Amino acid sequence: MTYILEAKDLRKQYPDKLALQGLNLQIEAGEVFCLLGQNGAGKSTTINLFLGFVQPTAGAAYINGLEVASNALRIKQYLAYIPENVMLYPHLTGLENLALFSSLAGFKYKESELLAYLAQAGLPVEAVQRRVGTYSKGMRQKVGIAIAVAKHAKVLLLDEPTSGLDPKASNEFSELLRQLSQQGTAVFMATHDIFRAKEVGTRVGIMREGELVDVRPTALLNANELEQLYLHYMH
Amino acid sequence: MIQSIAQKEFVSTLRDRRFVVLSVLVLGLLLAATLVGRASYRTLQRERTVAQQTVNDQFHHQPNRHPHRVAHYGSFAFRPKSGLSFLDAGLDSFTGASVFLEAHQQNSVNFSQAQQSGSLIRFGELTVAFVLQLLVPLLIIFLCFSAFTEERETGTLKLLLSQGVSLRQVAWGKIVGYGRAVALVVGPALALAAWLLFGEEEFGNNPDLWVRLALFGASYVVYFFLFIVGSVVVSAWQQHARTALVTLLGCWMLGCIILPKATANLGANLFPTITKAQMDAAVHEEAQKGINGHDPQDKRTALLKENLLKKYGVTSEKELPVSVGGLVMAESEAYTSQVYQQHFADLTRTYERQNALSTWAGLLNPYQAIRPLSIGLAGSDFAHYVHFQQAAEDYRYQLVQRLNALQASMGYGDKERKLDAATWRAIPTFAYHAPPLSWALGYLLVPALALLLWAVGLSWLGLKVIDKTPIA
Repeated sequence: MTYILEAKDLRKQYPDKLALQGLNLQIEAGEVFCLLGQNGAGKSTTINLFLGFVQPTAGAAYINGLEVASNALRIKQYLAYIPENVMLYPHLTGLENLALFSSLAGFKYKESELLAYLAQAGLPVEAVQRRVGTYSKGMRQKVGIAIAVAKHAKVLLLDEPTSGLDPKASNEFSELLRQLSQQGTAVFMATHDIFRAKEVGTRVGIMREGELVDVRPTALLNANELEQLYLHYMH
Repeated sequence: MIQSIAQKEFVSTLRDRRFVVLSVLVLGLLLAATLVGRASYRTLQRERTVAQQTVNDQFHHQPNRHPHRVAHYGSFAFRPKSGLSFLDAGLDSFTGASVFLEAHQQNSVNFSQAQQSGSLIRFGELTVAFVLQLLVPLLIIFLCFSAFTEERETGTLKLLLSQGVSLRQVAWGKIVGYGRAVALVVGPALALAAWLLFGEEEFGNNPDLWVRLALFGASYVVYFFLFIVGSVVVSAWQQHARTALVTLLGCWMLGCIILPKATANLGANLFPTITKAQMDAAVHEEAQKGINGHDPQDKRTALLKENLLKKYGVTSEKELPVSVGGLVMAESEAYTSQVYQQHFADLTRTYERQNALSTWAGLLNPYQAIRPLSIGLAGSDFAHYVHFQQAAEDYRYQLVQRLNALQASMGYGDKERKLDAATWRAIPTFAYHAPPLSWALGYLLVPALALLLWAVGLSWLGLKVIDKTPIA
């Protein structure tokens, strides 16, 4: 079976630190996998390896069956990425930023379509024509979400995507992820937010010092149990 | 993709207030330099044209005179400014503007602007070339130093690359985008220059100048391309914007200030030149070995006279159909001229060696490639100056020999007689024709190749560096 996202004995050794040790993971289409872990646990390294931004020391990452390291450019058409702190081009408006990133991904949208994506991400209408330099972190995050959604990718790689969002916007984002998941999009989300992981995830994994120490289906745990499990591994 | 990134860079740059302020400043300087340069060109050109006409008229309106008196009265050759010299004055401010043409003597070209102006001119003039060669690169550095570092530091690079863009496409997009921004600053000044130049009748139908201006513009396009590529590559190579800026400013200082001075000093030490006084003394000393036209007791003059008597089968000078004095003068002039030409050629060769060192340094430093290219195309380089000097000397020699021939044709006792004033009106005056571009191209081959090699080499090396740019 071809998984939409897969890691086989994936390992990353930095000169001063072993960031990831032998990760094995398979994620299917429509699945929302939430990766929990402390800062420096290896979550971002994992995402960077799936993005092809860092080269693995051993093992391999696959997107839609293609090895990332040898298909670094090709695999980008299957994925969209939202970092923890979406930084856009401050001299362009939110609309112009979305148009730019969409055109780079090969999508030439009409203005009405771009406005619809921004509205779906929750960006206030009055902000779309303003330069991004005047945006709050949450507003930039919403443009980042619109960029990812407008790409219609098979995989969403999210690194703390709700960071900076207010509770209402976070809820709307969770709802959006659920919709995308139902449409067959696989989601890989690194997060500190146990409650959000339980709410939107189909599976959660716990990472500690570069090692995936536990993976559970969220359906078998309530939020409290997940928190206890997480704390258990962190001590 | 490249176009999308280029457009983003262009729009972002135009909306960046820092760039707007700097560009307006540079554009203002360029436009001012163009207008001031053009005004100065017109003034100097007018002065020289009037002066040349005046001396030509004075020459033609001499009274009845002995030809040798006319040869000593002499004339002047004024060097016309080249059409594009208002863009790059090159050596024009330091080389002379006029030369006195007389018998027996090869005078140097005198009355340079530097001689007649205050000391400020020695610090360099504000010319279009000065702005293009030194200030625009600085603008490019300030524009591009954070091209990659900022994207990496803020994280936009990861978002950009996650859309399926390669690092090379990002780099080329930035290069094209910054190129458009620079064109917006430089373009109006060159357009103004073209309009000022070709709006005038004398240049309107001069294809040579059109081609020179086109090549002038093309050379600077390559020069700016080098700075843009270099800045983007350094930005990709360095981790932080500050270190990228320091590196680029260091390169600018080395390339635009230190290396040119160092090579000029090295050239002067490796190939020392003699002073004007030394050269005059050497020419004078050697000229003594030839006939002295003003010394009737000269042994060589006596020998020439003896040969003439034999040739015409007569026994005394009185019976000769030619004036011995005129022939002696012609012989003396030919010898002195030959001596001078040898010394002048030696001196020119030394200067050319010094210049060649700087020109070849263009392979190490693009600034030293654009400079000879720029002044060569503008017609204000050493080669064009020497061309004028030679033309003036050729005219002087022909004029003096023509007058010597007139004297010779007067026969015995010529010194007691004069020729009619109409004689002088039949003698053509000095009219300088600057060499065409095809002549100048030979001198510009090395710097042009150096600039192109830089463009190809830097692009190739730059892409290799960019491929290895860390993303995360």
